[in-house]
Amino acid sequence: MADSSAPKPSSSVKLVLLGEAAVGKSSLVLRFVNNDFQENKEPTIGAAFLTQKCNLPTRTIKFEIWDTAGQERFASLAPMYYRNAQAALVVYDLTKPTSLIKAKHWVAELQRQASPGIVIALVGNKLDLTEDGTGSGGDAEDAGGEDSGDARKISTEEAKTYAEEEGLLFFETSAKTGFNVTEVFTAIANAIPETSLKTARGPGASHAAARTEEQRVNLNGPRDPNAKEGCAC
Amino acid sequence: MLNFSSFVQKAQQLLEPVQGLNLSESDKNPSKASLFQNQFRLPSSQHPLYEITAELTIPPTNATQGDRDRDRGYQYAGKLHLSEAFLSFSTTPSSFLQSATTSTSSIFTGQTHGGGPNGNGFTFPLCSIRRVERLHSQNFQFALSISTWNGISQDAAKEKDKKELREQRVTLQLAGSRQACERFCDGLKKGLRANVGNVAKLKKVTAECYSEYLLRPDDKKNAAPPDAGLGMLFKYPGDPKKLRDRAKMRLWAEYLRDNGRNTTLIRQPTFHKLIRVGLPNRLRGEIWELTSGSLYLRLENPTLYADTLAKFSGQESLAIDEIEKDLNRSLPEYPGFQSEEGIGRLRRVLTAYSWLNADVGYCQAMNIVVAALLIYMSEAQAFFLLSALCDRLVPGYYSTTMYGTLLDQKVFESLVERTMPILWEHLVKSDVQLSVVSLPWFLSLYINSMPLVFAFRVLDVFFVEGPKVLFQVGLAILRINGEELLDATDDGAFISVLKSYFSRLDESAHPKSENPKLRAVTKFQELMVVAFKEFSGITHSTITDLRLKNKDAVLSNIENFAKRTAIRNLGPDSKLLSNDELGALYDRFYGVLYERQQRDHIIKQEQARRAKSSRSRIAEAASEGSHSVEKGRVGLGPSTSLMDYDAFREFLAGMCKWAISDSPSTPQRDAFAEKEKSFYGSFRRSDTLLSPWGAGPEPAEHEFLQRLFQKWDTDSSSALTLQKVVSGLARIKGKRDIMGAINYFFELYDDDGDGKVDREGILRMSEALLFLSRRGLEGTLSPSNSTLTLSGDSTNGPHGDVPGQPVSERFLGSVSAFIRRCFEYADPDHPKNQDNAVQNIQQKLGSTQLDEPTTGEELANPDAFAIGDDDDDDDDEDEDDEDDLLAMDSPTGSPKAAAKKADNPPPALQLNSTEITPSKNDTEVRRRVSKAQSERANVALDPSNPLHITLPTFRMVVLADELLEHFFETSFPTSFHIIEGLQQATPTSASSLTTFSGLGIGARPAANAGAAAGASAGAGRGLRGVLDNIVTDGMRVAAEVRRRMEEAQKELEKNALAAGGPHQQHQQQGKQRGGANDEDEDDEDEDDGGFDRASTRSGKSGGAGGLSSAYHGDAERRSVRSSDRDLLTGADAEAGDEALLGSQAGTVGIEGGEGNSAGQPSASVGGGGAGKVVGVEFDG
Ligand SMILES: Nc1nc2c(ncn2[C@@H]2O[C@H](COP(=O)(O)OP(=O)(O)O)[C@@H](O)[C@H]2O)c(=O)[nH]1
Ligand SMILES: [Mg+2]
Repeated sequence: MADSSAPKPSSSVKLVLLGEAAVGKSSLVLRFVNNDFQENKEPTIGAAFLTQKCNLPTRTIKFEIWDTAGQERFASLAPMYYRNAQAALVVYDLTKPTSLIKAKHWVAELQRQASPGIVIALVGNKLDLTEDGTGSGGDAEDAGGEDSGDARKISTEEAKTYAEEEGLLFFETSAKTGFNVTEVFTAIANAIPETSLKTARGPGASHAAARTEEQRVNLNGPRDPNAKEGCAC
Repeated sequence: MLNFSSFVQKAQQLLEPVQGLNLSESDKNPSKASLFQNQFRLPSSQHPLYEITAELTIPPTNATQGDRDRDRGYQYAGKLHLSEAFLSFSTTPSSFLQSATTSTSSIFTGQTHGGGPNGNGFTFPLCSIRRVERLHSQNFQFALSISTWNGISQDAAKEKDKKELREQRVTLQLAGSRQACERFCDGLKKGLRANVGNVAKLKKVTAECYSEYLLRPDDKKNAAPPDAGLGMLFKYPGDPKKLRDRAKMRLWAEYLRDNGRNTTLIRQPTFHKLIRVGLPNRLRGEIWELTSGSLYLRLENPTLYADTLAKFSGQESLAIDEIEKDLNRSLPEYPGFQSEEGIGRLRRVLTAYSWLNADVGYCQAMNIVVAALLIYMSEAQAFFLLSALCDRLVPGYYSTTMYGTLLDQKVFESLVERTMPILWEHLVKSDVQLSVVSLPWFLSLYINSMPLVFAFRVLDVFFVEGPKVLFQVGLAILRINGEELLDATDDGAFISVLKSYFSRLDESAHPKSENPKLRAVTKFQELMVVAFKEFSGITHSTITDLRLKNKDAVLSNIENFAKRTAIRNLGPDSKLLSNDELGALYDRFYGVLYERQQRDHIIKQEQARRAKSSRSRIAEAASEGSHSVEKGRVGLGPSTSLMDYDAFREFLAGMCKWAISDSPSTPQRDAFAEKEKSFYGSFRRSDTLLSPWGAGPEPAEHEFLQRLFQKWDTDSSSALTLQKVVSGLARIKGKRDIMGAINYFFELYDDDGDGKVDREGILRMSEALLFLSRRGLEGTLSPSNSTLTLSGDSTNGPHGDVPGQPVSERFLGSVSAFIRRCFEYADPDHPKNQDNAVQNIQQKLGSTQLDEPTTGEELANPDAFAIGDDDDDDDDEDEDDEDDLLAMDSPTGSPKAAAKKADNPPPALQLNSTEITPSKNDTEVRRRVSKAQSERANVALDPSNPLHITLPTFRMVVLADELLEHFFETSFPTSFHIIEGLQQATPTSASSLTTFSGLGIGARPAANAGAAAGASAGAGRGLRGVLDNIVTDGMRVAAEVRRRMEEAQKELEKNALAAGGPHQQHQQQGKQRGGANDEDEDDEDEDDGGFDRASTRSGKSGGAGGLSSAYHGDAERRSVRSSDRDLLTGADAEAGDEALLGSQAGTVGIEGGEGNSAGQPSASVGGGGAGKVVGVEFDG
């Protein structure tokens, strides 16, 4: 339990993004870190590294984000990146059924191979392509013709049920419109147990899906230029 | 005078050109050839043919060189090497003789100062050598004067121009015995002659080299210069002034003028120095091409790039899609890649390579590397350089598993640990994984990490000195930033320290120094010095050793990961199996594929080696040692993940007893070994390596296996993926439910999926049941049954062991009952037959219904009628049982009943059997007659009145028998030992066979392998005939069995004669086996033929007696084991005969393409009671 009288403690959390190629991992990170959406100009070799701070009422979390490369063959490098990670974002494209299968694989992989207390969030991206795309009409310029009609192939129910079974946080997002993106990271920040923060990676992180709604937090990150620190090595 | 050609021959024996093996195939014991190719960066077509110590003299340069020249010019002592198309000289004293140690073959002296890995010297393509003259010299020494086609591509049309072109000439003093020198010269002469034709290629290739333009006299420079990359269009990166590009160019022009250009370049110390200071923009591509050796690839096949593009033009692939995605993000900061021109070039090179090497295809990071190359070289040049990179310089980096990348990260980490222990400890403590930082350095050759100008400087050295450069630079980066890195405690801090360092590489390394000279040293210069001075101890062999040390761990990590991934992606069926089972299946699946590939490779190599050594007169042992061949290993990336039929058999043989051949020495193996022996003389390697099945048990061949394979091969691609195997097994083993198992089995035989299995199918089912049970039934019913033997005293004596008669043996009875019942309850195919059939069935039903309740009991009774029952001293009890049974089954069990049922007399069956005599023509005729008669005898058996059973019938028949029920409920599913596999001893002992097949066959490793092969019984083969005959002659046969058995036994004993047989029929039968099922009549004939053969083989006496003696072989063997040895004086002769037969049959089998089964010697037919069944019927 944190000492409330002390200045807000700051700790870093290693977060890894996993998922099939082209589901929008890099776009999600870019949205979170730069509040921007664009074609990925940075060639990603292995994994891109970015950081972003996240202010919670009681503490500041500095995310160290590893955005893994898209190509299938890079998957065998993934253990290198999720090793020691305290959080993972497993992303699928809710217009592409195979991507959920792949996501499930990553969840299983993380549950078996990663740090025991790892907080995993399952994220269905490209919500703007669906009819109920809550985020459509946001700041994105919809030039693509694909937006007409509902392209959703994976129902919220299906993914949510699975997430609950596995004790994962669950969100549907749009990196394009920015819908729900910061919420994902905030929920993760909240779900990271304090004990795990102190010891960098302790066991016993509960998948606190229930806690996600409890704490409304401010993220000053996306619009704070000082918080940006991208590195694509 | 000495005979030159004999020297050449001897020399060739000393050399063992082995196909160059790249790292992925062999690195424990790289072949001399691959080391040779590595040192001189030659294509894999080149082998070290001759080598000799020599002194190279480069004559005094001409006047332009001023006073630099010396009287004697420059001299270098070193080794001269000759390969098929190259003459190479190096001051590196490496040797590639067979007798040379690996370390002398792999000396890489590459230091910053001094020679690169190639040392000083040259690598002349033979086609670039214009003339070789032998100089007169004292002391009978050999001195050669070599002049080259230096500058050949300059169209020196005019004589005047030719004169301007100074001829390049070097002198080589050979040091060696006169013989050695002559041998070398002779080889050189031959090589030169063979390569004359390549001069045109040379001209074309060198014309694309910028040096040719550079060295052209000024008045001839009007022609367009060769393509030296996008830099010519979009400017080269960096400030040319700052880079001192002009000065560099002048230095190079001078060097090239004096020492030759591109293919005729001679490496002297200045060459390496010039590279270290950074290559000038326009020559960079050419020197990269030269030092990496990709120039020689291009020379070998100058049009490969254009041809590849043309060949695949318009085609699509996954790689192309992936390439397309990355085109816009490959060095986007360089203007050339913001244009269609640059993007187009990049697209074409990546695409062409993805076609050329489909195993690698396209890997992210290749886009960046190729983009960088394209700034300095043409598309074709970049294409070949990419090839050299992937194959030699950074092997495995871009493969589908990227094992090379992961491996080099491990190597790098261990180097850091070794050279910077404090930093390493800090990294471990703060839980920072170094490789997440360093991986991109290696994967993109620093191109994406440092500012381009510096990355290219690293590349300059990398291409000449090899992959060690990447490590040296990496270590230097960490060393230089050591202190700051010690303050960093997480990935982020670590990365930002390095990022800021890379961005300041052009700044002074010592900004505060008093010394202006020191102040002028940039951070990059410092980096180079630290890399190549401080880490000069990191050599090529350091890297090679560490790679070797870490390779297994890295590969197993990848494989474990791949395994987890694969198992999770096996689809819904996989849920029916446990995780352990899936894991074990995965291992077995890939294990078999891996071993088969390796075996295949070794065998091929071995064959090549022997073919070669058989050609040479003296059998010089090639001491290459066994290459650690590694192909097919999952971790290495693409290999096959498809299992063909033979692999499938081997796969099953690893976990199912019944899938192991009864004859340890397959026809294939016999034939193979024999061929080998005659062809290649003595056998050096252990035979297991060369056996087509390796060290494992030899798989059986049986129609059932083919069906299973086809069933699992759901998309009929003749290959199984792991997923198909899992789905297939899941249906057998997954749902422990008897109905499922029964249905599955039925489906296996329902070829057209119409819910019906025809007459032929019923027979095949029975065969399969016997095949599957011949090593005993597994499961809970009788735990000990698997060890039972039917051979030896226990079965020979009077029925003392009846109460304990093994289940397996009783199972034979169940199968025979199965056949009878199937026919009994079969439905006719055509409605028009309905009446007859109904009549038949009704007739039968009467008795069946009455007797049904007792059936189970009787079948469970070991002494009930059983095919496998070979006892001729049956007691009365037996007879009684049988009578009941037969009465139930068929009214024809007694002559009276038969007569009542049909008009024709029961002798139909006797007729038939008696007429199967060795005289073939005779037989055919009479057979036809007899068939007709028997058909009339029983409508159900008439091929013109086809019949079938349906699934419900099949179920009923199975469930009517306790043992069959047991079989489907537990035995069959548990016979797949997925996890634990088979213990070698159990299944390989042929003595545990329980079938009609050869009882008492020697155990597998029997000294007399031939005999074993000969005696062994393909469970199905002989049986097949038995079954067919049962049907052909009607179910009444069964009724006769008991009675005739005694006679048969007597006949056997009478006809204890050995004889050879017509093996062609084996073959015929083999072929027929694979044939369509609907050829019933042919089938019968063939099978009769098979019997014919069987009988003739064992007893040639002819007539009825001869036929019955078909089984005598078996009986005899049993007798041999018993105390009756003296009775059977012919036994030994027979055994010998069988040995002979075994091997012959083997050959036939191979020709017939039918594997074991065709080769199964007929003796097997004579197993137990089944043998007698037939014997009886032929006998009558
Ligand atoms: N419509 C839509 N497109 C998206 C969204 N997120 C990413 N994309 C697009 O999907 C493609 C792949 O995105 P990227 O971030 O590179 O995927 P990654 O391979 O998982 O990193 C790009 O063309 C993106 O523009 C989204 O939320 N909505
Ligand atoms: Mg990405």
